[in-house]
Amino acid sequence: MQHQGVVDIVKRGGARPSEGFQREKLHTSIVTACLSAGTPTGQAETIAKNVTEAVMGWLRTRPEVTSHDVRRIAAKHLNTHHPDAAYLYEHHRTIL
Amino acid sequence: MDIVTSLAIVTLAALVHASFQLSVSVLTLLKSHSLGVQRSHARTLRLTSSYVAGAGVMTLLLLSLFALIFSQLFGTEAPHLVWAIACGLLAGVGIAVWAFYYRREKGTSLWIPRSFARHLSERSKATKDAAESFSLGLTTVFSELLFIAAPLIISALVLIQLPAPWQLVGIVIYTLISLMTLLSIWVLSSAGHRLSELQKWREANKHFLQFAAGGALIVLGFFVYVCKILTDVAGLA
Repeated sequence: MQHQGVVDIVKRGGARPSEGFQREKLHTSIVTACLSAGTPTGQAETIAKNVTEAVMGWLRTRPEVTSHDVRRIAAKHLNTHHPDAAYLYEHHRTIL
Repeated sequence: MDIVTSLAIVTLAALVHASFQLSVSVLTLLKSHSLGVQRSHARTLRLTSSYVAGAGVMTLLLLSLFALIFSQLFGTEAPHLVWAIACGLLAGVGIAVWAFYYRREKGTSLWIPRSFARHLSERSKATKDAAESFSLGLTTVFSELLFIAAPLIISALVLIQLPAPWQLVGIVIYTLISLMTLLSIWVLSSAGHRLSELQKWREANKHFLQFAAGGALIVLGFFVYVCKILTDVAGLA
């Protein structure tokens, strides 16, 4: 929690302005990926909490990262909890 | 060209249409978003079935429109030049599909204008009721026109030669067969198959699907050229 709003997230392609890291946004996106993969709500929340903690640990030493990096690291951690959800999380932009 | 040959051409064109992936991608996104926001199974089913119905209606309308335009322009028999252009278009689109259909990146991103892809992706996320879902199905088929125009045109040219009842049969056959892939994905995902499983299969086999679609377009172009132009010119009909 200590870095919320401190770590700058550079958006995809640099077209949109950077924004501070939002824990809730990451948490919600992981819950959504887990639910899309058919995970029950409680389990999805637990997985999202663990993955968000892991990403925040990774962010602790970095003042600025790209949104792509956050997604990559989150997918890596999510893969250990739920490979199907990690696949959907990582690939949802390349389905279309 | 006899009725059986005509319907065979329509069937092959519809199979080529069915092998195109845009509508399947949008269905995957629609289902994924619907599950992600915890919509009920019944509501998700309503959304996806409306989407499939929309895609079917647009396919039917587009084929009917092409057939109407051609019958107004040429009556019941298009000139050989038009057939030759249509065959060339099939071969050209077939080669283009081999070269460009998928973007050179991971996943199943297609070579459609990115603004179309963004719009469809955003709409699949924002779709909340059956009417919106139906219109998403209509829009998706229209967005794929770049690739499906060739099989639609050749089917329309074939259909205008047939007696009216067989034209209707041809339109129904084309619409049903072109929806086959979409219906399969809809049935599998509604029956509980995981979306990630289906998407992984599509990604793993995308080059085969691309090769098959491109190859079938070229074969179809060659077949129609031989069946229609060469046979007529040689007076074998």
